[in-house]
Amino acid sequence: MKNFKHLFVIFATLVATLSACQPSVSSSTTSSSNSNTTITNPSEDDPVFSKFTGELERNVEIKVVENDTAIKMGYLDELIEAFNEEYKEYGITAVDANQGEFADLPNTGPYGYGPDVVYQANDVLMGWVQDKHIMPLPTHLIEAYQSDVIPQTAHEAYKSVNNNVNYTFGVPVNIQSPLLYYRKDLLPSDWQETWDDNDNDVPDMVENIVDLYQFSLQYHEQDNSKYGFEFSLNDFYFTSGYLFSYGAYLFGENNRDDTDIGLHQGNAKYGVQLLRQFAAQMSPACIDDSAKLAISGAMASGKYFASVTTPDVRSVIVDALATTYQDEEGLTSQEAIQKAEENIIGVPFPSLPSNGDLINPSEEMIECKQMGGINGFAMSSYTKYPNASLAFINFATSYKMVKLREEIIQIAPCRSDVASESNELSQQLFEKASNGSIVLMPSIKAINQVWTPAGSFMGDVAADPSRGSNAKYDTLDKIQAALEQLSKDIYDAIHLLS
Amino acid sequence: MRRTFNNLSTNKQVKKVLSAVFIYCILIIVSAIFFFPCLWLILSSFSKTGSLYDIEGFFPKEFSFDSFIKLFTDTSQYNYPMWLLNTLIIAIFNCIFSTLLVIGTAYTISYFQFKSRKGLMKGALILSMFPSFMGMTVIYILMTQFNIVNNIWGLILIYSCTAPLGYLVQKGFFDTIPQSIYEAAKIDGATNARIFSTITLPLAKPIIVYTALTSFAWPWSDFILPKLLLIDKNNWTVAVGLMQLQQNEFSRFAAGSVFIAIPIVVLYFFLVKYMVNGMTAGAVKG
Amino acid sequence: MKRFFKNIAIKTNNTYVNFINFFKVSNINVKASMALMGLGQLMYRQIGRGILYLAIEILGIVFFSLYGFHWLVGLITLGTVEADPWTGLEGDNSVIFLLLGLMSLTLLILFIALYISNVKDAYKTSLLVLKGEKIPTFKEDLKDLLDKKFYKTMLFLPLLGTLIFSVLPIVFMILVAFTNYGDTVLPPVLVDWIGIDNFVKIFSLGDIGPTFFKILGWNILWAVSTTLLNYVLGLLLAIILNKKVVKAKFFWRLFPILAYAIPGFITLTAFKFMFAQGGPINQYIIQAGGSAIPFLTKDGTWWARIIGLLINAWLTVPSVMLLATGILSNINNDLYEAARIDGAGSFKQFKDITLPFVVFATTPTLITSFIGNFNNFGVFYFLRGAIESDGYFASNDTDLLINWLYRLSIDNTYYSIGAAISLIIFVITSAISLIIYIKSPAYKKEDTFR
Repeated sequence: MKNFKHLFVIFATLVATLSACQPSVSSSTTSSSNSNTTITNPSEDDPVFSKFTGELERNVEIKVVENDTAIKMGYLDELIEAFNEEYKEYGITAVDANQGEFADLPNTGPYGYGPDVVYQANDVLMGWVQDKHIMPLPTHLIEAYQSDVIPQTAHEAYKSVNNNVNYTFGVPVNIQSPLLYYRKDLLPSDWQETWDDNDNDVPDMVENIVDLYQFSLQYHEQDNSKYGFEFSLNDFYFTSGYLFSYGAYLFGENNRDDTDIGLHQGNAKYGVQLLRQFAAQMSPACIDDSAKLAISGAMASGKYFASVTTPDVRSVIVDALATTYQDEEGLTSQEAIQKAEENIIGVPFPSLPSNGDLINPSEEMIECKQMGGINGFAMSSYTKYPNASLAFINFATSYKMVKLREEIIQIAPCRSDVASESNELSQQLFEKASNGSIVLMPSIKAINQVWTPAGSFMGDVAADPSRGSNAKYDTLDKIQAALEQLSKDIYDAIHLLS
Repeated sequence: MRRTFNNLSTNKQVKKVLSAVFIYCILIIVSAIFFFPCLWLILSSFSKTGSLYDIEGFFPKEFSFDSFIKLFTDTSQYNYPMWLLNTLIIAIFNCIFSTLLVIGTAYTISYFQFKSRKGLMKGALILSMFPSFMGMTVIYILMTQFNIVNNIWGLILIYSCTAPLGYLVQKGFFDTIPQSIYEAAKIDGATNARIFSTITLPLAKPIIVYTALTSFAWPWSDFILPKLLLIDKNNWTVAVGLMQLQQNEFSRFAAGSVFIAIPIVVLYFFLVKYMVNGMTAGAVKG
Repeated sequence: MKRFFKNIAIKTNNTYVNFINFFKVSNINVKASMALMGLGQLMYRQIGRGILYLAIEILGIVFFSLYGFHWLVGLITLGTVEADPWTGLEGDNSVIFLLLGLMSLTLLILFIALYISNVKDAYKTSLLVLKGEKIPTFKEDLKDLLDKKFYKTMLFLPLLGTLIFSVLPIVFMILVAFTNYGDTVLPPVLVDWIGIDNFVKIFSLGDIGPTFFKILGWNILWAVSTTLLNYVLGLLLAIILNKKVVKAKFFWRLFPILAYAIPGFITLTAFKFMFAQGGPINQYIIQAGGSAIPFLTKDGTWWARIIGLLINAWLTVPSVMLLATGILSNINNDLYEAARIDGAGSFKQFKDITLPFVVFATTPTLITSFIGNFNNFGVFYFLRGAIESDGYFASNDTDLLINWLYRLSIDNTYYSIGAAISLIIFVITSAISLIIYIKSPAYKKEDTFR
């Protein structure tokens, strides 16, 4: 007992001393926008830009973090080679930072191990801005912004306010969004007569979800081990669009205000109801990530007619399908790959009935929004060669390189001049990103606290049809209550402890 | 009289046979339980698609070596052979250093009666209760101050230095070595250092082998610390690399995972005889 | 309370009086050592020792005047100039300040301890001289380190390593629990000491307290049951494999070894898919006309718990078996022979010799594996990392405290809150395991089998 008391006193004195020597609270640098101050764009001679003298550092090495797919497809090699050739006279060479695409700038940068230039999605890059790991860029020195080819929405995704100045932190390269992929060769042979009511040469089941639902019922009936449409509902990147379409949002004030969580706003419940109805027609693989993991095999075997995933997975599906063609139809590998390329088609999410009901759909259809991201280049604050790095960013985001990137990786570009010359899907995505149908991932740190609770909730919704009489989400009221709870949980996760 | 005796012996034999059958049944079941998931992993790494996930049921229908060939030849982006080599170096040196330190610590605490002994024992127990990843950021920052980040030797240093805290199991072993052995040697005038190297170490073979095996195996599966410390892809260990591969290259992930098991199993082959015959009858009698 | 302070006062007073007396009785050489480390030893012609102590003092003074003092000040202020990576302004990094300050503090304590030992050493020598005994030479000192004081030699490196890589991080995290480090306060923003605010927050905020106790309950249940299960199964397996009837032991041991050789995170990934909604087991169930079982989903609380238990057994039983095998081979055969002569049957032999011996030698394993399982991060991180349950704050119903901590401190960067929670967990768990340990025969009767 005595010992215990002794400890307690030491503890108490320790605490007292610790709290006594508390220095003045440092002014915080969070980017919260206060309504009674005006936010301005940075001027060209803003002191933050003083590093950018315009004089290129000579004989230096720029370490670049790139996307794994870009490396695999050989794009990075082309980019580096072209850049090194262009800047040979200055002795500037770009190299692969070789740290993996998820390079951990906050942990490596401050200690001198980080890359100089990073390619990543806007949510990742902008998540590092708050702690100043990413350098504000002088837009007046960046060709892409000067020549006005970047859509406003994409530029917004790279902006963050610091001390009432709205800085830009990255340069967009391409648009990332999940897509609906389907097997063209599994369409009914007479689809042009039976499944193309509007005669636009696009099958109805990939144009609107009501027909997709009908087709799924039919597809499953023919062979009950097969499913017309199946994807992992527990991935909120895939499912959030269904909520957004009916008026929900993630954060208020254009995804900037993390004190306003709006997943229950508008008629978000319609989106949940619709997904729940569709989940009843899917296999249980939609509840967790099995559908996402099994997608290549399942699409190759025709187990899924259509599914949702990110564009970088497409090549894996194509490979798997090519293998199937080789085995079943005796094609050479060249032919098989070509055939598979032709038959795996990606399209934006099909439109939705405005009443959010698949069983008694309304006539009126609304466009389905989908979540997406803007991938681009940003500069580490810890780079020793800001001017050379800026030159690299300018080079990598130029018309020529963005176009080459699109050709090699087949990814939707985020420059209007490249997009206008590219394929239909890329144009569609560019259009959607510009007009807000692709809801860009919030560029604030709080987004990290959304994925798990929201994904877990959607997985639970997918599991609901199998609960029978114990269903948790079988009425719109129950769904609304659950969504409100979800918004509250996310709010708490972000704010309760801060 | 004779008949009953016969009966008795056959009875005994029947019992013996029955118990043997029973034991073998258990062994078969246990082996199946352990082997099945391994077999599943192994076969899927040999499957044509190379994935665990796109198979109907457990086992693939078609096999190929493609995943393995790719794993070892296509190294421009994922340098598996390099990772394998790094991990092997880390594992070997960790095995040597950790085993030395752990065995030394366990022996010392078991054998010597010094003043702060019980305090140390309690302290070690409490220290090992602390969730290790909470200290990981600090260790990383510490390593940046020592300038040994992005270097496999830094990892070996940390592994070896934190190993002695797990001395308790080994101490339990040393506690079973009879004091009389030491006393006999003492009378002969041997110093403690000599006793340790000539008597204790040979006696402790089974536990040394156990320690060596476990410390050799650890770097193959740890990924949190190495991910933080080894920044350059060419310095990665297999565990870090595989975690990355898992995200987008499942076929290589499965093949790479199965391959990791080989060095550990090989080491087991070499060491097993010391483990089981550690203290043969007659070598030591208490 | 009053008496307590009085006691302290008396104690301090006593120390003071003792010191005065000590100073009075000590001779000139001891006093020399008090003034300058190693001086007394040199005066006794203990050249090696004297130079060592002197070197320590010089090194110490150089270090503290160059760095140590600054670092100690940094520990209190945690930095005063905020860095700005944008303009390249090199400010203070609070986290590094905290770390260096702590290192400096450790070195200071070590230095003082060495100083005291230096005085004590000189005093001891003076006593030897008084008694007219021979002063040990440096060579003899070194020799002693291989014999009587061999334990010092053996423990030097392990203690140093533990101090740097275990004690230092732990003390660091304990200190962090009293700061506002984390969330929006990450370097370059300066960190401040905030006293016990974090602890107040944990216990006053709505969902956090209940979540803590719910998780703690399950965590204890998990740690006890999984430890016992693994222990019993591993021991049984080792005993069975050790039986004479079992031929080709090597072959049978190979299967558990194979399971052991494949890294845990890989088998966990495989097991996760095995029990997934679209995994092979559910595929077979659906093909047979059943409906999928929610093994690891939000609904599958007890399914997931039991699967976790079994998978953990699969992962750990091989190593328990390895260990027990090593220990079984160490049983003195004479004991069995004696028992056989006494006419003991094989079961009796097992009960009276094998079991007590193995249990004795492996109780420490029980304790270490209890600790390991209490903080078993991997199993549920892999199986159910993507799930959050209703009524739990940012966690689910199979999460252990360590998983929760991970979500809070790594995923959500609440470092100081995480540190505060881990401090609470740390106090609870170390109390429990310390009590168990002290009561265990392996601690109380260490020489049972000697």
